[in-house]
Amino acid sequence: MIGFIGALLHPLALPAHALALLGVGLFIGQQRGRLVALAAFAAGLAAGLSAIALGAGPTAAADVLLALTALTGLLLALARSMPTLVTAPLAVGVGIALGLDSPPEVTSVAAATVMLVGTGLGACLALAIVVAVSGYLTAGWQRIGVRIVGSWIAASALLVLALRFARGQLFDS
Amino acid sequence: MAASSLFACLPAFAHTGSGSGGFAGGFAHPLFGPDHVAAMVAVGLWGALLAAPAIWLLPIVFPLVMAIGGIIGILGIPIPGVEIGIAVSAIVLGAMVAAGARPPLWIAAVLVGAFAIFHGHAHGTELPPGADAVAFSVGFVVATGMLHLAGIAFGQLARWPAGRIAVRAAGGAIALAGVAFLRGVG
Repeated sequence: MIGFIGALLHPLALPAHALALLGVGLFIGQQRGRLVALAAFAAGLAAGLSAIALGAGPTAAADVLLALTALTGLLLALARSMPTLVTAPLAVGVGIALGLDSPPEVTSVAAATVMLVGTGLGACLALAIVVAVSGYLTAGWQRIGVRIVGSWIAASALLVLALRFARGQLFDS
Repeated sequence: MAASSLFACLPAFAHTGSGSGGFAGGFAHPLFGPDHVAAMVAVGLWGALLAAPAIWLLPIVFPLVMAIGGIIGILGIPIPGVEIGIAVSAIVLGAMVAAGARPPLWIAAVLVGAFAIFHGHAHGTELPPGADAVAFSVGFVVATGMLHLAGIAFGQLARWPAGRIAVRAAGGAIALAGVAFLRGVG
């Protein structure tokens, strides 16, 4: 899928990215300082995408993203309130990893720029929507539902990390 | 020879897997194992009978411990009697529901967690090598959770006397099915 619309949807088309956005979005939405964490994610994402634009080579960003996804899933399952000093760096880390793991699959500079900008906007928009929805999930049964989804996210990410380790792919950029 | 090699790879009982990758393949994976379905529904039924906090704690504990079992399976570390353990999980969890057993929460969590290791190990060893690992894993974790929720939903009938009999009867049926799985049926 090529073009700006395709770039916007790019984070949702990759299961690992969609899972990370869901996990960190639900997590931020359940915490205080949501705007700070959202801004931190956007800054991290911009840094990661800029590094790609400046020619950063292959990295282990995909595995870091999975590890951070597993961590956010566990934190969701635990349902502990975290200070902004924890949520903001976590959001920065997810943003950087997601950006570095989004190299444009096009050859021209113009198309690559469109892809990077679209991916950045799409990821920020998707995260903002999840954070907003999560912020409304305050009833007792809704928070339990979020904890259950968190345990699913953590379990899925941990299994994939183990699979990559078994295949000798973990942190093999 | 190719056919015999293929069948030699199949597990002994009901975990046949879907053989396809992606979310749909992962989602279908637990649903094609009647022993897995029975045990997962039993977890939900038992949680509903035990009420809060077990009703939500067990469905949170299970996937996390199942992931540990899955990691053990993916790493190729053998656990003896995995399929027997899965069948026994249906027997024990079904019997708990049938008996209306109300042990302390930590005992219920440890019991469910111990069986989750067997279920996770079976899933881990059956992950198709070419599958989109993330989508497949999300699919089978979500399907497992949905089976828990189905059990919890049915377990809500226990609020009424007749419903409580129906829920305990369902537990008895699951335990009997577990005996059948143990004998190689299913």
